[in-house]
Amino acid sequence: MRLLRHQVARTTLAFILLWPLPSSAFAESIFGEEFDKFIKEKVSFGGFAENASGLSVSHGSRFFSTSNRFIMNRFTLQPEVNVDMTDWAKLFISWRFVKEPRYSAEAKSREKSVTYFPAAPVKPLSNTFYDEDSFKPWEAVLDLRPHDRWKIRLGRQFISWGETDGIRLLDLINPQDLTFSPPAAPNLFNLDETRIPGWGVRAHYTVQPVSNTILEFFALPGFFDEAKQRVDEIVGSNDTGDLKVRYGRWSAHPETRQIFRLGPTTFNGFGNLFANSLNPACAANSALVSVSCLVIPSTSRELPDAGDSWKIGTRMSHSIGKLNFSLGYIWGFNPQSTDMVFKVKGVSCSAPVPGPCLAGAAPSVVRLRLVNDRTNIFAGQFNYPVGDLLGLPVNTALRGEMAFLPDKPYNISKFPGAFGLKATVDPKHPDGVVEKHTLRYALGFDRTTLIPFLHPDDPWRAFNLSFQIFQSIIFNHEDGIHPFSSAERIKKVSTTLTFRMGTGYLGDTILPDVFTAYDPDGYWSVNPAISYVPPGNEKIRLSLVGAFYGGHNKFKSFGFFDEKDSVFLKMRYQF
Amino acid sequence: MKPAQRRLFACPTAGALLLLLALCFLPGIDLIAADADLKPGDTIGPNNWQRIQGMVGDNFLNRIKAGHSIQIKAPKVYRPLKEYADATEKYSGKVHLGANGELLGYTAGQPFPKLDLSDAQIGQKLAWNFFWRWLGDDYKTGGAVKGGKIIRSAIEKDGAERRADLVSYFLFPRTRYNLDPKPAIPGYEHIDYMQLRVDSYPRDAAGTTTLEIRYADPNRADDLYIYIPSIRRIRRATTTQRCQTLAPSEFNLDDINSFNGKITDFNYKFLGEKKMLANLSQEHLPFNRKQGDYLPLDEKWEVVDTYVLEITPKDSSYCYPRKLLHLNKMTFDTHWTLIWDKRGEYWKEQFGMFTPVKLADGREAWSVADVVIVNVQNGRSTIVTATRSYNKGYSATMFSLATLESIMRGGSIE
Repeated sequence: MRLLRHQVARTTLAFILLWPLPSSAFAESIFGEEFDKFIKEKVSFGGFAENASGLSVSHGSRFFSTSNRFIMNRFTLQPEVNVDMTDWAKLFISWRFVKEPRYSAEAKSREKSVTYFPAAPVKPLSNTFYDEDSFKPWEAVLDLRPHDRWKIRLGRQFISWGETDGIRLLDLINPQDLTFSPPAAPNLFNLDETRIPGWGVRAHYTVQPVSNTILEFFALPGFFDEAKQRVDEIVGSNDTGDLKVRYGRWSAHPETRQIFRLGPTTFNGFGNLFANSLNPACAANSALVSVSCLVIPSTSRELPDAGDSWKIGTRMSHSIGKLNFSLGYIWGFNPQSTDMVFKVKGVSCSAPVPGPCLAGAAPSVVRLRLVNDRTNIFAGQFNYPVGDLLGLPVNTALRGEMAFLPDKPYNISKFPGAFGLKATVDPKHPDGVVEKHTLRYALGFDRTTLIPFLHPDDPWRAFNLSFQIFQSIIFNHEDGIHPFSSAERIKKVSTTLTFRMGTGYLGDTILPDVFTAYDPDGYWSVNPAISYVPPGNEKIRLSLVGAFYGGHNKFKSFGFFDEKDSVFLKMRYQF
Repeated sequence: MKPAQRRLFACPTAGALLLLLALCFLPGIDLIAADADLKPGDTIGPNNWQRIQGMVGDNFLNRIKAGHSIQIKAPKVYRPLKEYADATEKYSGKVHLGANGELLGYTAGQPFPKLDLSDAQIGQKLAWNFFWRWLGDDYKTGGAVKGGKIIRSAIEKDGAERRADLVSYFLFPRTRYNLDPKPAIPGYEHIDYMQLRVDSYPRDAAGTTTLEIRYADPNRADDLYIYIPSIRRIRRATTTQRCQTLAPSEFNLDDINSFNGKITDFNYKFLGEKKMLANLSQEHLPFNRKQGDYLPLDEKWEVVDTYVLEITPKDSSYCYPRKLLHLNKMTFDTHWTLIWDKRGEYWKEQFGMFTPVKLADGREAWSVADVVIVNVQNGRSTIVTATRSYNKGYSATMFSLATLESIMRGGSIE
């Protein structure tokens, strides 16, 4: 271990000192021949630089004048270093630096267009919100193999369970950075680039290698990661330090949530989903329409990021014949934004004293805290290749994934609501939360198919096809369960279907790929991409990517992003 | 050009001698080498390409006709390794073929050392001798290349090149000659080989890792798991669609090591013995060539004795209705692989060079060095520099899903 520490220290020092130097500089290294040899044979450098520009192509809304349609210009630099220190110890470190030159025009546009009551606290995101300039490693892992059957990984890392593509079901161990991209758009930024790594340990013990019988354990204590203030990007939130609500790039119509109509004046009635007014007259006469019946939400976030709490998990994998499967358990907070709930922390008056509210002269304020609850997740997954079925060549890899979440919290309200609103507080659930056992599963079918007439240049270049079905089943379901951010009911069984198709043309220099998702409730998304890899340079990749969403409303599922349609140009150089 | 037509044009004096013309249309007539009396130091070029007609692939010959020159050298002779020869002697007596061409009673070594070329099953036996040729107890492809990696260059018709680096690790758990336990790792008797392939360059592909398992059961398809770094997960893939191009290369799954199909999925016909040009002692690794062209510039060639094996699929929808292997009579490695498509047109041409490598005990063995595959229909080609290092002592545990779970960017797993 002493040798190990020595090598790690020397390598780190050398990396810092030598990174900017050309390779010829190594020939005259001041560290001596032995060290030179170590660097040349055991250390490798890599990484990428990328620029992603995004342009909004949606028509916008009357509440948000998207005068500035240039919604993203993100430059990312990610250097990486591998060190093969010994036969049993390896080190990998990467850093991520991100700069998004943004335009004050956009901020001003948001500032003008976002309506709120009272108007004063509403602010757009700061122009530097998306920047990453910390020298803290993005990923830093030390891989140890103390024994042939033991593999231990220490450090800031990614852990991914599951079998799904594009939509996360069991992949809940690392949170996802949604400042990067809207959901169900795997062609825009892949999961590897949108997850947030966490400090911790992961260990594998191979019980029986021939049957892939493997025990796995991980623990992410969280306390190494600061609770970084990061807007979730789907809901506006005032967790950015100055307690001013900000709406991010992918905010799902914060301006157009439920509207409380009071004659010609319009107010945001979102708070009425979760609390009643302080004015007793409103409760006594639900048909009464008065400003005092309005409940204004004051939202804040709790534990939105990695590193706020322990997360532990274990699973066992095994193969029987062609079947490979695993069973596992995860305990810790669930980072999925769509699984969050608003918890009511109290109701107060919008005026400094409660009198005006009680007298019917001022609206009330409900303090809502958006929470990622601690969760028990019982996990399972399997995969199985199907060759011929009843004599037919199916040639498909079947994969499945399951998560059972006991007592999963949901927000619940009464439909229809008072005052002409779609929903208001359910008297049976005054705290707005109900817990239900929930089963989620996904089945995937992957295969390659030859379509010669679409491939005149190479009839044997296959198309990769992938079909998935996701279902979520809420046991003992109650009417009125809804997403935390809108008054759209969630059914007992929710279904999403996805289909993906990709191939390569002209020696894989042109790579089209399209990912589509469909919610039978009437929502959809399409994420097409076409990439160009120059035939003479494998380091360059240019991609044109679209992210399009639709549905019969914009308060649920993919409809959330109905007016966030965008196209992106990504230019990547790998080194 | 269809094979029959091609053979006609291949005859140097077609029409001059009736007998020779008749021979041209007999099966295996293209086995006649143009000039078996090539001597070390001879130079073959556009003016005397006829001397090697039939000893190289047609596409390669066309390049010589068009101006490329090669030089002949003395043959490099390898000797069978003692452990392999001992295992052959010890176990081959019990080996026989089943009704469907499966190999029964096999333990280790060469299954059929005593070949009767008039045997009705000689083709199937040659195929098994090829499959169980000596490849060490394990090996790292690319392990003897400077940098320890396979270098793969995909060349477009216009000469544009893309490079990829990777390594692959093979383990033969039931035919072990040097490393304990011998002759099989307990519990692995049902597995012919296991392969880990790890991409390391360019960066976006780095860490992509496949685990492939070939089972002895002729009815069981290979297992294939792929670790995909962009999602950091393992995906299962089917291996039954073996014809799809492994783009951007011109290989498909069954082109690996010249022929990587499941032996029992094909029919085999022995077409005869033939002298071919090969290179068993490649001088430069990778060989010198012009940027954008696959032709080796300063490598010399030698005359080797080969068996010619025709492979036809049992599945009529298979991509290669006809594939010819030219097997080295001693090592059973392939020097030239020629492939036709369903229209009977010449499609792909593959040649492999070899080089001596040292085992840990200092003995000399041989390994494939550079392999070239050319798609003569679309003009693309792929060169792979893949010299192996043998008997590395890899544990069976390395070839499990736990290894895939622990791959990092960069892809180092040793």
